[in-house]
Amino acid sequence: MRAAPQPVSALQWFLGALSLPQRWRSGVGPIIAAVVLVAIVLTAIFAPLIAPHDPLTMNSVQRLKGPSDIYPLGTDAYGRDLFSRIVYGGRISLLIGIGAAITSVIIGLLIGLVSGFFRLADAIIMRVMDALMAIPSILLAIALVSLNGPSIWSVMAAITIPEIPRVVRLVRSVVLSAREEPYVEAAITLGTSMPKILLRHLMPNTLAPLIVQGTYICASAILTEALLSFLGAGVSTEIPTWGNIMAEGRVYFQIKPSLIFWPGLMLSLCILSINLLGDAARDVLDPRFKKREA
Amino acid sequence: MQFKRRNFDDARVILDVQDLTVSLEGTPGAPPVVDQVSLKIRNGETACLVGESGSGKTVTALAVMGLLPKGALRVTGGKILLDGTNLLELGPQAMREMRAKRISMVFQEPMTALNPVMRVGDQIEEVLDTHLRLSAREKRSRVLDILEQVHLPDVERIYRSYPHQLSGGQRQRIMIAMALVLEPQLLIADEPTTALDVTTQKQILSLIGELQERHGTAVLFITHDMGVVAEIADTVHVMKQGELVEHAPVEKLFRQPQVEYTRRLLRSVPSLVPRPPRPANGSENVLTVSRLQKIYVSRSLFSPTLQVHAAEDVSFSIARGRTLGIVGESGSGKSTVARCVMRLIDPTAGKIEVAGKDFAQVSRRALRPYRKHIQIVFQDPYRSLNPRWTIGESLIEGPLNRGLDRKTALSRAAELLTLVGLPKDALSRYPHQFSGGQRQRIAIARALAMEPDVLVADEAVSALDVSVQAQVLDLLDELQQKLGIAILFITHDLRVAAQICDDVAVMQRGRIVEYGPAQDVLANPKHPYTRALIEAAPGRFWDFANFREVSAA
Repeated sequence: MRAAPQPVSALQWFLGALSLPQRWRSGVGPIIAAVVLVAIVLTAIFAPLIAPHDPLTMNSVQRLKGPSDIYPLGTDAYGRDLFSRIVYGGRISLLIGIGAAITSVIIGLLIGLVSGFFRLADAIIMRVMDALMAIPSILLAIALVSLNGPSIWSVMAAITIPEIPRVVRLVRSVVLSAREEPYVEAAITLGTSMPKILLRHLMPNTLAPLIVQGTYICASAILTEALLSFLGAGVSTEIPTWGNIMAEGRVYFQIKPSLIFWPGLMLSLCILSINLLGDAARDVLDPRFKKREA
Repeated sequence: MQFKRRNFDDARVILDVQDLTVSLEGTPGAPPVVDQVSLKIRNGETACLVGESGSGKTVTALAVMGLLPKGALRVTGGKILLDGTNLLELGPQAMREMRAKRISMVFQEPMTALNPVMRVGDQIEEVLDTHLRLSAREKRSRVLDILEQVHLPDVERIYRSYPHQLSGGQRQRIMIAMALVLEPQLLIADEPTTALDVTTQKQILSLIGELQERHGTAVLFITHDMGVVAEIADTVHVMKQGELVEHAPVEKLFRQPQVEYTRRLLRSVPSLVPRPPRPANGSENVLTVSRLQKIYVSRSLFSPTLQVHAAEDVSFSIARGRTLGIVGESGSGKSTVARCVMRLIDPTAGKIEVAGKDFAQVSRRALRPYRKHIQIVFQDPYRSLNPRWTIGESLIEGPLNRGLDRKTALSRAAELLTLVGLPKDALSRYPHQFSGGQRQRIAIARALAMEPDVLVADEAVSALDVSVQAQVLDLLDELQQKLGIAILFITHDLRVAAQICDDVAVMQRGRIVEYGPAQDVLANPKHPYTRALIEAAPGRFWDFANFREVSAA
């Protein structure tokens, strides 16, 4: 029999979630994913200690060199160290990924709670959300970048805004079903105020699906950021990001494929591990497995 | 009405279960779920398998059907002989042949057991398709014939209907038709009437009896309802925690139960004879409802506006320390009344007076002071407590809302737990650590924490086993005497109503059709609907608790 996680307080639940790997029966996949992701995150955080060179220093003598003791992965068209650029590039990618995930989850959670509980607000909010959902993030990014100039904030906003409606819908659906539960009705008859019911009875129900959704948003945000940089609508070209590195390497693809291969590999590994963790989290937290043993 | 007294000694043994043991998979050392159960069912016999929830009744049936959930439960010993063939030795293919053709099963919930997107006629034909080769015309006539046999009206229309277009009783008839269309030797019915109203239940029970007689089917009938057992059983098998503790012909078992567990089970069955009336205490009314009306309106652009009168002209009152029962079948409007009184829904018209003030039309915000006077206990003990909160948190929610400080509220909560018969350390535990009956006690304690004048119990004991039900009813009675609260008791179960209510109101289609002292309404019903309800109550000729016929007093 599958050990069903028992519903507990938010804190206990969180502590339980930290020891999740023991419960994952699906094999070593999620564990390898976690190790890879932790390595990438640590590399990004300690980039100044790890990178052997300054990622921005150009050296016209050392253009397009192959791997050597000094340049582990070789150099790009401006003689900058590819390895250092990839190490630093992870910072921006992860910042945008995690930033977009957290921002859209928090904003979406607040709107979704209100929308799910108050019928009148629901009708208006959901139409606005439908409209937001129709905006493609790439076009929005191009518009924002051309208005404000290229910056991390433009890119983050462009990625976050179209994700919000998806979070809102998810939260709203959870609230809609949870508000029919007798314990919520009991709270109403006990005279508990609406904000308190929302925060203390309904919100905890949304946390598990939100964590899963958050990982997917994170992965897709990193990918979108790379895509935007590649198209030239992303972060300023002076800042190294995985997308920027690939965009610049594109021209020299035929003589030096490693300029695209290495940042591309990092990007793929990062997305793959986040998605694997998201899948594993879904398997563990999915409400169908959360059924109480009657 | 009396017990069946047929003798089956000479009949052929259809099902012979020998020392059946079913264990949990993956947890070695755990006690088996079904432990060495042996039972025999002969041709034409109805064997009832009774016991409380978790006693292994359904697992036994699923083992016979070869439908134990894979990876969770496994047969670890014994034999299941169907007409001499050991079912446990058959492969999946051969077992599939057996099902429907030789054994079939009817489940409790007729809505989920039928495919909602397929016409019921096609669903029955599918059974024929899997096992027989028949022309389209033969199939159709055979399906129409079995639909006739289960007494469905206008079989041509039913044949083309989808499950949602039929009533619960009709759906259960379809299930029975499907189970019997191939004329199996053994029919397993797992609580087939539990989800149905008493009047429908009566019809389905007599239908099963009639078809059994016609086809000579052996029936294994699983139920927790002793009334049903008294009506239909030839032999009764009593299960307790996976073991078969007693089996005997029905009359012998009900007259002279041998095992203490059986005696206790029978003693917990509430009697249909109303308890002696308590003298009116002459205190003032704490809840007065007058001319309450609730109309649901559904407007749609393309169809005419639909109005459903869920409650119409409902008036009643309860005095301090008294219990009023509202009884009726599903859809009679009794829960609508309870929810209106709690102001979980807004009544369309009428007055609800508590403590001398009418609260029927007061705004949500102004309701706060009213909430203190009236509290509710819901039916489902598994969903009425927040699973993420400790019992303590749940119990102090109301008092905190009223402005009590946390410390006082917690010490008060501990007192309440003692009052409802639970240990004080329950405060720091979570709902999943308690049984259904214990959770219902906690829900009662939570309601009492508000020190209400009126307690609304909406089917509060319906989800519990009889023995637990009896304990919770005793608790309510005791609390009423101690605290003098008035109880509005909503139930579909006349036996429960007879044991706890001073007054009874019978509801049908949103209206109160009969209202008066329990003694009058239940013992000398005036309204034909009340009479029909009482007549449909299964096993009403038998006084279970005293092991004898109901004395014709």
